[in-house]
Amino acid sequence: MVLHTPPRSLVDAAPAVLKIVIAGGFGAGKTTAVRAVSEITPLSTEEYLTEASVDVDSLAGLEVKETTTVAFDFGRLSLPDAPVPLELFLFGTPGQDRFVELWYDLSRGAVGAIVLVDTRRLESSFTPVSFFEDLGLPFVVAINQFDGAHRYHPEQVRTALELPVSVPVVTCDARDPNHVAGALLTLVSHAVKNASTDPAHPAPTTSLQDA
Amino acid sequence: MSAHGHAAEESTFVRTYTLTRGRTRPRYLLGLETVLDAGQGRPGPAQPEECEEIFALCRERRRSVTELAGRLRRPVTVVKVLVSDLLDVDALVVPLTHPYADTDAECGPSTQLLAALSAGLKRKWPDAIAYPQAG
Repeated sequence: MVLHTPPRSLVDAAPAVLKIVIAGGFGAGKTTAVRAVSEITPLSTEEYLTEASVDVDSLAGLEVKETTTVAFDFGRLSLPDAPVPLELFLFGTPGQDRFVELWYDLSRGAVGAIVLVDTRRLESSFTPVSFFEDLGLPFVVAINQFDGAHRYHPEQVRTALELPVSVPVVTCDARDPNHVAGALLTLVSHAVKNASTDPAHPAPTTSLQDA
Repeated sequence: MSAHGHAAEESTFVRTYTLTRGRTRPRYLLGLETVLDAGQGRPGPAQPEECEEIFALCRERRRSVTELAGRLRRPVTVVKVLVSDLLDVDALVVPLTHPYADTDAECGPSTQLLAALSAGLKRKWPDAIAYPQAG
């Protein structure tokens, strides 16, 4: 089926929309982080996913397509005082393999991702980390400091997740807006750095010198 | 939505299916982050009450497809089908965004837009934790 481009209103221009993905394992604090900076109570949104599953009744173990529902969080904030009026959308999404289809949708045109890590369940961060690495989407790792949990040094987490030195690893309290805003700022700077080193996306200063 | 067992779940599914009259694909190319404004048209009497809800929400302010789905507690695909119907009757329109907003789907937002985001975040949270930069 041919998809049509929706009709556009010609009246007042809307603020530019930017999106950031917050990924992490179950209980890593994704909803908490979204809530800390969002202007609305985070909304839990559902979407259908089609996934291959092995039919247990079949002796041949045939793969069948099954439609399941997954939920992700949505939050937003407006930045009317930015040089250009902006609205930032935050998508909080679980870290399992079965969410990959949704991650593609969320990552398209996104600023980048924050992978929120609970050091007690470090293994749940591997899937999102390798997904964003493979996709080439800028991401930062934020260690959520839970009360009473052992505090690992960011470099220990970097080693455990086999992250290159270029990926920022920060520690934060997902409940604290100043911490989450700091993690967002770290991601934005990282994305700028990525964009300027990407030959397909030169920094504006380069194009000015060339002109 | 409180679940009353399997039967309730099934009836929700049937209701959802009826809502879109069996359609599983929206007619328009809509992203999770596509924002919608109320237009000059109105939802038709034959359209489900959810269309009225969507229209009312967009009349209050601009809303994204994801936000509408979250508020209606309906799956995103279902909401996209309903939004397509509302676009057809001009009850909804996709607002023209700022020219700077032309984000390249492959490369991501422009460096100008990223710089604006950084400045906007710093203004909103002047006490944001400044983390040392890696690499």
